[in-house]
Amino acid sequence: MTGDFPACEARDGCITCGDVAVELTVVELIGDDALCIDEGGRTELVAVELVAAVTPGDRVLVHAGVALERLRPIVVEG
Amino acid sequence: MRFVDEFRDPELAQMLATQIAALCEPGRHYKIMEVCGGHTHTIYRYGVQDHLPESIELVHGPGCPVCVIPMGRVDDGIALAEQDGVILTCFGDMMRVPGGNGSFIEANARGCDIRMVYSPLDALRIARENPDRRVVFYAIGFETTAPSTALTVMRAKADGITNFSVFCNHVTIIPAIKAILDSPDLRLDAFLGPGHVSTVIGCRPYDFIAREHGKPLVCAGFEPLDLLQSTYMIMKQLKAGRAEVENQYGRVVPWDGNPVALKVLADVFTLRPYFEWRGLGSIPQSALALSERYSEYDAELTFQVPGVRVADPKACQCGEVLKGVLRPWECKVFGTACTPETPIGTCMVSSEGACAAYYNYGQYAKQRIHLEV
Repeated sequence: MTGDFPACEARDGCITCGDVAVELTVVELIGDDALCIDEGGRTELVAVELVAAVTPGDRVLVHAGVALERLRPIVVEG
Repeated sequence: MRFVDEFRDPELAQMLATQIAALCEPGRHYKIMEVCGGHTHTIYRYGVQDHLPESIELVHGPGCPVCVIPMGRVDDGIALAEQDGVILTCFGDMMRVPGGNGSFIEANARGCDIRMVYSPLDALRIARENPDRRVVFYAIGFETTAPSTALTVMRAKADGITNFSVFCNHVTIIPAIKAILDSPDLRLDAFLGPGHVSTVIGCRPYDFIAREHGKPLVCAGFEPLDLLQSTYMIMKQLKAGRAEVENQYGRVVPWDGNPVALKVLADVFTLRPYFEWRGLGSIPQSALALSERYSEYDAELTFQVPGVRVADPKACQCGEVLKGVLRPWECKVFGTACTPETPIGTCMVSSEGACAAYYNYGQYAKQRIHLEV
């Protein structure tokens, strides 16, 4: 894990303990893992074995350091 | 643009609230259980209940993994940490959960080495960095979290790491829902399904709720509008006399779940014959242990663990809160003897626990004027 990614925030909810996951964006692949970034600019190394192959720019749903799903791209209409 | 803003739009919330109210039948009271602790947190934090008519009651379910840990398993963790050379690692919320012999924080004050980690992969890294110590990961969580533990155990085996093991407390959501449906003291109309558990297991395992029990379930996302839209979908079903499984959280949850994660879970874990849940009692085939193939990583086999059942404090009514029979503020010790700083029951520990969520955010709800819908 890199940066100052929060381990547990009492008021905002613990992202690991509950059924809570966060959406992150893949920045680069490092070995078997992917360096991912959240919208606040915080980065973490994420295991991506459980999802289809990811490339930089892909969005993934991450829980406890592991990607659970590769998310479909957001399509902005209009 | 922050993608979450669209899911917190007050005008859309008001529009959904009006549509939900229009579906209510006069004189009927609706009880909808949100299974997941993450939903409970959102409901209190954003005052979702305030947008619903008084005839719709959201009942908080057992889906906070910390809250369903029985005291005896906390004591087992401390007993592991007290053994020579052990570093016990766990998620943050576990640190303050009271057992019969104090909490992990209090055990640290007595000289134990219990460390908070963000991921079980961090626990494995600690094992790599401390080859002369024995590192145990205290695993908790539903199907959302179990894949990360499974993946970690697979990596430990592949890399030949021998000073790492798992004290497994992973539980599965379906048996808990079955136990609630079989509970005689609770009448529910429908369920808001757990969003991220469903990312892994998909929507099909909930079929029995609709088919056998005749109750709708909608897999719901975690933003306020997700919950309002899911409630709207439930109310539409109830109005039409339908009982189906629907997926509101389609942007994240695939109908069939994650087949790779399910295969990893099946490979690394096996179902326990039974497991004790706080408040719900012993539920058959409701929890996971490491499979025979990975038994060398099972802390219950490699260490002496007391495994003693410890009764909950008499004043604590977490069981009733977990089943949705009591609302948090109806517990005798809520907010007085039991607070987030000095919790008696587990529901007051985790931010996903109904009591802690209400304690932190519930007072704001009292300041709001209930919407005339």
